[in-house]
Amino acid sequence: MTKAANRIGQIGVNVFLFAISLSCIFPLIWMLYSSLKTSQEFNLNIMSLPSNPQFQNYIDAFKIGKMGTYFWNSAFVSLFTVVFTILFGFFTAYIIARFKFPFRGIIYFMFLTGMLIPIHGLLIPIFVEFKALGLLDKKITLIFPYVAFNLSMAVFLFENFIKTVPIDVEEAACIDGSSSTNTVMRIVFPLCLPVISTAIILFFLGAWNEFPFGLVLIKSPELRTLPIGLTNFNGQYTANYTQMLAAMVIVVLPVVVVYLAFAKKVMQGMTAGAVKG
Amino acid sequence: MNDSSAIRPKRITFLIYLLPSIILFAFMVLVPVLLAVRYSFFKWSGGPKMEFIGLDNYKVLITDGNFWNAFVNNLLIVFFSVFGQIGIAFVISIFLMSKVVKWKGFHRTVIFIPVVLSSVVIGFLWGMIYNQDAGMLNWMLRTIGLESWIKPWLDDPNLVMYSVTVPIVWQYIGFYLIIFLAAMQSINSEVYEMAELDGATGFKKMRYITLPLLSSTIKIAIMLCIAGNMKAFDSIFVMTGGGPGSSSTVMAQYAYDTSFKSYKLGYGSTISVGIMVLSVGLIIISRMIGGRNRD
Repeated sequence: MTKAANRIGQIGVNVFLFAISLSCIFPLIWMLYSSLKTSQEFNLNIMSLPSNPQFQNYIDAFKIGKMGTYFWNSAFVSLFTVVFTILFGFFTAYIIARFKFPFRGIIYFMFLTGMLIPIHGLLIPIFVEFKALGLLDKKITLIFPYVAFNLSMAVFLFENFIKTVPIDVEEAACIDGSSSTNTVMRIVFPLCLPVISTAIILFFLGAWNEFPFGLVLIKSPELRTLPIGLTNFNGQYTANYTQMLAAMVIVVLPVVVVYLAFAKKVMQGMTAGAVKG
Repeated sequence: MNDSSAIRPKRITFLIYLLPSIILFAFMVLVPVLLAVRYSFFKWSGGPKMEFIGLDNYKVLITDGNFWNAFVNNLLIVFFSVFGQIGIAFVISIFLMSKVVKWKGFHRTVIFIPVVLSSVVIGFLWGMIYNQDAGMLNWMLRTIGLESWIKPWLDDPNLVMYSVTVPIVWQYIGFYLIIFLAAMQSINSEVYEMAELDGATGFKKMRYITLPLLSSTIKIAIMLCIAGNMKAFDSIFVMTGGGPGSSSTVMAQYAYDTSFKSYKLGYGSTISVGIMVLSVGLIIISRMIGGRNRD
């Protein structure tokens, strides 16, 4: 290969990558600046920048579109999902990783198969089950499926990590008179911090973005989460694209901020199961 | 496992650690699977009246054109995703491993952004891109003088499946990119140095070293791709709702419509069982094919 051809190839590869990156980021940039336009301005030219940026769309999204309510519902469900998934997952994984007991293999296998079962196939039976138990349409409704479906991943992550922690520390603590609960909470749990931070991000993103269960299990408008609120928003105020764009920005902004702040952790979290499994 | 009797908690503590997860998991996964199988034998619209009809629902399912059409739509998404996501991600990761590319961190960070976004937002965003009159895509075609290419991207039954597949492929390229980059970085650089001494150039290095050493990662990626796309729902629900007609209906959408719009919960459960059997079956088949290649 000649030097010139080589050079052209290098430029070509760089241009190709910039085109890909641009395709990933431009729709978001467009969404952000378009949400600051008025409807007329948007209809006149969809690509132009706002001539006079204004926040009326956001005010309307919160006031008319109830985005504030949906936001707090999402925050509530996501927070409790993260806390319970990590607590339940950690304790179960600790027992599975450290001790022999009857059905140990079956229990671990059961959690792992949870990753293979297509959850969407379970929408109907879960709906029926929740209806029978009076659990439909409550503030806590969505926490149950979200925690349960994350448990597979949580048990898998924690079990793998705890196995690598030397048992000697726990035994030393025991000899010094620490109770088993004290040892687990004060020594093992803090040692798992690297996995916990990954897990927090992973489960937060999952709960924040989840759609089908929110759609089926919640009926009251005041209990909807953001993704469901968004579809409702679209139906009720059709054709008001700029208001819709403002609402979309409200949904993705927290996620993008968390992502940009912890990019490396987020990538680790999202791909943890794949790379190790 | 490193069983030590010294640190073993008391029986009651042991159970408190273990049981909440097991009970919740059983209540949300195992029981619903059994319930789905049970309801699939009934004619039931959600009310108190449940009529046992044995295997009749399954007989209907086997000849239900709408169900198989939805399954074919899922397969189409799987097909394009395996080649689109895994293929494009593989090419990008090779580029990002080479010395000639600038701004590597920027590309990696930006290409991963769509992965963390809500599929509902992605659906709305691409709905606006595809919009016939006010959409970004047709605007671009008009601007560069390709007026004849302008199409009703989401309203043409022959086109709509391809239109809804593009955002799905686009969204998850970054996911496979990160997996491949992690795997490539773990390849010992001495292997490449040896190959270079033997005269292997860029393409040959990829063909004879990178690709074989990544084969297990690629197999996992294909499995994840199948599992992920069999439950495709959110973005299509938002973009087309399965339409026009049933041309972009996927299995999850069909189960949803049957159960919550037509109130056929019995038959909806049969569809659910169908989805689970087909998905798990496809994953097992892909594993078996992958396993045979190993030798």
